[in-house]
Amino acid sequence: MDNRPIKEPIRKKWIWIVLVLIVLGNVPWYMPAGSYEPLILGIPYWAWIIVGFSLLLCAYLSWATLKHWNIVEDIEEEEKRRKANE
Amino acid sequence: MNDLTFSGMDGVLILSAYAVVMLLIGYFSGRGDKTLHDSMSNYYLAGKNLGFIALFFTLYATQYSGNTIIGYAPTAYRTGFAWLQSITFMTIIIGVYLLFAPRLYVISKKLNFITPADWIAYRFKSKAVTILAVLLMLWGLGNYLLEQLVAIGQAASSLTGGTIPYQVAVIAFVLVMLIYEWLGGMKAVAFTDVMQGLVLMVGIVIFLAGAVYLVGGNFAGATQFIAETEPAKLGVPEMMTSVNWLSMILLVGFGAAIYPHAVQRIFAAESERTLKRSFSRMAWMPPITTGLVFIIGILGIALIPNLDVAGSEQLVGLMANEIAGINGFFYWVMIIFFGAIVAAIVSTADSVLLSFSSIVSNDIYSRFINPNAPERKKVLVGKVTGIFAVAILLWIAWYPPATLYEIFVLKFELLVQVFPAFVLGLYWKRMAAQPVFWGMLTGAIIAGVLTWTGHKTIFGVHGGVIGLAANFLIAVVGSYLVTATVTEEEEEDLKKIDLAYRREYSD
Repeated sequence: MDNRPIKEPIRKKWIWIVLVLIVLGNVPWYMPAGSYEPLILGIPYWAWIIVGFSLLLCAYLSWATLKHWNIVEDIEEEEKRRKANE
Repeated sequence: MNDLTFSGMDGVLILSAYAVVMLLIGYFSGRGDKTLHDSMSNYYLAGKNLGFIALFFTLYATQYSGNTIIGYAPTAYRTGFAWLQSITFMTIIIGVYLLFAPRLYVISKKLNFITPADWIAYRFKSKAVTILAVLLMLWGLGNYLLEQLVAIGQAASSLTGGTIPYQVAVIAFVLVMLIYEWLGGMKAVAFTDVMQGLVLMVGIVIFLAGAVYLVGGNFAGATQFIAETEPAKLGVPEMMTSVNWLSMILLVGFGAAIYPHAVQRIFAAESERTLKRSFSRMAWMPPITTGLVFIIGILGIALIPNLDVAGSEQLVGLMANEIAGINGFFYWVMIIFFGAIVAAIVSTADSVLLSFSSIVSNDIYSRFINPNAPERKKVLVGKVTGIFAVAILLWIAWYPPATLYEIFVLKFELLVQVFPAFVLGLYWKRMAAQPVFWGMLTGAIIAGVLTWTGHKTIFGVHGGVIGLAANFLIAVVGSYLVTATVTEEEEEDLKKIDLAYRREYSD
């Protein structure tokens, strides 16, 4: 049996807690309905906040995917190298 | 979509060029591979060997359809800045993938899964659960395919200014799709997706450039106009809209991630590294896809104000007309762009059709009708049934429904009910077949009844999400109540999918 360390996102609670927080930031429930001023570069202030959270969500998921997911990658890549050398 | 005055024979020319390229790609991807039609894994999953470029683009072109443009720009036009939600709900799909794809990928390789129902059948060993899940998936896929077929006809006939009538456009492109899919299976689908995805990306950027040019590069002027005429579209939405926004994130996130064709792309990945890299890039696609389409819709409010609902559905065509009028460069770019919309719709339709066929081959014919048939025959049955399904859907498509977005929400409502079984089953050994079945059925009935009786949302929450909540509740509480009688064989099977025996990082 293999004893190599693995990383699986589901096992890290904090990943999901942070994700829920970012998603909650993505929805403008916490800002006064109907308000749109000040407009910055023509975009309502609250839309900037939402866009900021949207980009944060993209960055966070992209990062979590790359850094916190490694189950069989090492084995697969090793095998690939082995095959290539044969 | 309205008839575009800028096109005619030029549009026919460009569309024909797209069709030829797709056929060529299909032909070459199938050529030289003699085993392609002899194995379900080879035909439906490209031999589980999709590399990074093909996997990324097939994820992209499948998730983003022509609909993303011709359906979402009008929605942004009608709802204003609240449609920023389209960025979030497309991004969250990757988050939901992270919940289950890592483990499912490993299991699917180990046990050689072809369809999502392979997993459901393996995990629950219950005919009832499998059949119900298969029916929900086929329903979702069928509806989705229908919507794409309708969209192909609308986009193609409007691109050619009616030179190609709606029906002819649909039939011509469906034939092209059927031929290349028949020739190359998933390989053809994935390789055409590379072309289709690229033109879609570039097309959106150029369309936006044209729209920005039309408002004189003055985005602030456009929003100033909205502030004066329709300030509600600029303002923070009411609480009810925010609730609906969150509900939409849940519905699309959970629904889109477990679409059968989406799940099959996990199975088809060449390696974990390929899959990870593709997802990680996909996480950045919403801002430059639905995000840009959102801006196009907002600019539309200033460019072509006061359209009613039906009129706004024509928004992209109307804007394309104006953009094409700028100069010769934009004229040709707009024709190519409309071709790209058609290509993007075809690229979504082909994946859905392939998935539909694979479910018929693997989950209906092979599982219940003729398990001992040679693989070649199983593949053939799926291919032929796929053609019949398309024929039936085409017949329905002659009477296209009014707005595209409505049916988009509809298809998720039932499909998403497979989610608890699919994902909780991965991690929770106690989860039992019976409660899963009743949860799924109850969820589907709640979602269906609410939608069909015109209560698509209650206090902003979608019927599908309410059904999903009931579904989860029944599946979880039921599983606690059912006395766990696990046979030795089942115990062995559960061990196979358990990764916990391996040490994990503690960081």
